[in-house]
Amino acid sequence: MRGLSRFFVVGMGLLLAGCATDPTGANDPYEQTNRAVFDFDQKLDKYFIGPSAEAYVAVVPSPARQGVHNFLLNLDLPVTFANDLLQGEMSRAGDTLGRFTINSTLGVAGLFDPATDFGIPAHTEDFGQTLATWGVGEGPYLVLPFFGPDPPRDATGQVVDIFFDPTTYIKLREHFWWSAGREYFTVVDTKSRNLDTLQNIERGSVDYYASVRSLYRQLRNNEIRNGRPDVQNLPDL
Amino acid sequence: MTRLFPRAHFLGALRLLALAAIVAVAMPLAAARAATPAEDFVQTNVQKGLAILNGGGSKEQQREEFRSFLLKLTDLKRIADYTLGPAKNTTSPADLAAFEDAFREYAFAVYESEFSKYSGQTLKVTGSVERKAGDYLVSTVLVDPHAQKGQEPIQVDFRIFGTPGHFTVADIIVLGLDLAITEQDDFSSFLAQNNNSVKALTVELKKRAANVRAGGDLSGK
Repeated sequence: MRGLSRFFVVGMGLLLAGCATDPTGANDPYEQTNRAVFDFDQKLDKYFIGPSAEAYVAVVPSPARQGVHNFLLNLDLPVTFANDLLQGEMSRAGDTLGRFTINSTLGVAGLFDPATDFGIPAHTEDFGQTLATWGVGEGPYLVLPFFGPDPPRDATGQVVDIFFDPTTYIKLREHFWWSAGREYFTVVDTKSRNLDTLQNIERGSVDYYASVRSLYRQLRNNEIRNGRPDVQNLPDL
Repeated sequence: MTRLFPRAHFLGALRLLALAAIVAVAMPLAAARAATPAEDFVQTNVQKGLAILNGGGSKEQQREEFRSFLLKLTDLKRIADYTLGPAKNTTSPADLAAFEDAFREYAFAVYESEFSKYSGQTLKVTGSVERKAGDYLVSTVLVDPHAQKGQEPIQVDFRIFGTPGHFTVADIIVLGLDLAITEQDDFSSFLAQNNNSVKALTVELKKRAANVRAGGDLSGK
């Protein structure tokens, strides 16, 4: 279900992107549609994800939430590892392998994070970033229902990452519920750790949509550079 | 791997950007190291800002002190002009001056709305680059006593212009999120929807700043 729904949503996005032009300079030829989808995502956030996350924080004690967070992050590590390798980042691949090994064993299936105490820093990679290091551009800006900002390169990356995820190949009897549960808790965990963020950004913007578009791109570019500042391309102030 | 709306790191970074608005100008530096003049400038002012935040006096006094501290430290005119993008070239000097005033008030409103969120974070200078004469990037790392475990280190970079003794801060970059670029993208979209009227943007920023002064939030609603 996880793969299928993603294929559908992302596939529609890519179809749209296929006939993109760039009249605005913001590389956002579908701005009108994107703004409508953005509004939908915001409503989803306001009426469903936000209240879910608030209830989660109210009901589940903090150590348990930290355990859930660690567990979910640990599940993502095989995907990070595959992409570390594809990018030729051997030292980071070693970090990822070390984190996964330590946290999956000493950390009780990833519920705890002893690897950080051992001085192995956390990082994430995905196939969208790998494509970027191979020279693939972001493509026209897209906002997808449920997924938020997700231009073609990053959306493609998310689909490919499904195949790097070992849990895709473990066919449990209750595979649907496992996938749906992981999906749900990832969203609720993320939101619960950032409850008032979007509101703050919204208040501080004259055009919230444009600010999120700008921040999304800057953040992805920073992830692609693995956090190294882009000294040559700073704004001409 | 799953990312509904929006990505974990995306949200995390946005939260830190908001926090850094106050933290970045006001933190002490943990490490003593052989520093360049630009690094020294950042270090000294971070300590000055922190002294104000931790100092006595009424909240009102603190805000006033912090405001004059920022006014001296930052080159808000340079940032304001940049955020207009190409629209700057088609704006009359009078309209431009009015916009720069409104931008300054708006910037202070942003800082003031973040003022109460400071809770013991510090910054550690990690290095600097001179991009060209009088144009520096000073890098620091955020040391946050409340950092959640497993969180990646937060890099905060400062754009510094000028010569030793006459430095000013013109931009802050948190986790690669550049304040000046973000504001320019935000404003240019507003301008595109308002006939490129810098006057309309000036009115909007003034309205929002006034709302914060009246005890409301930045949204101006």
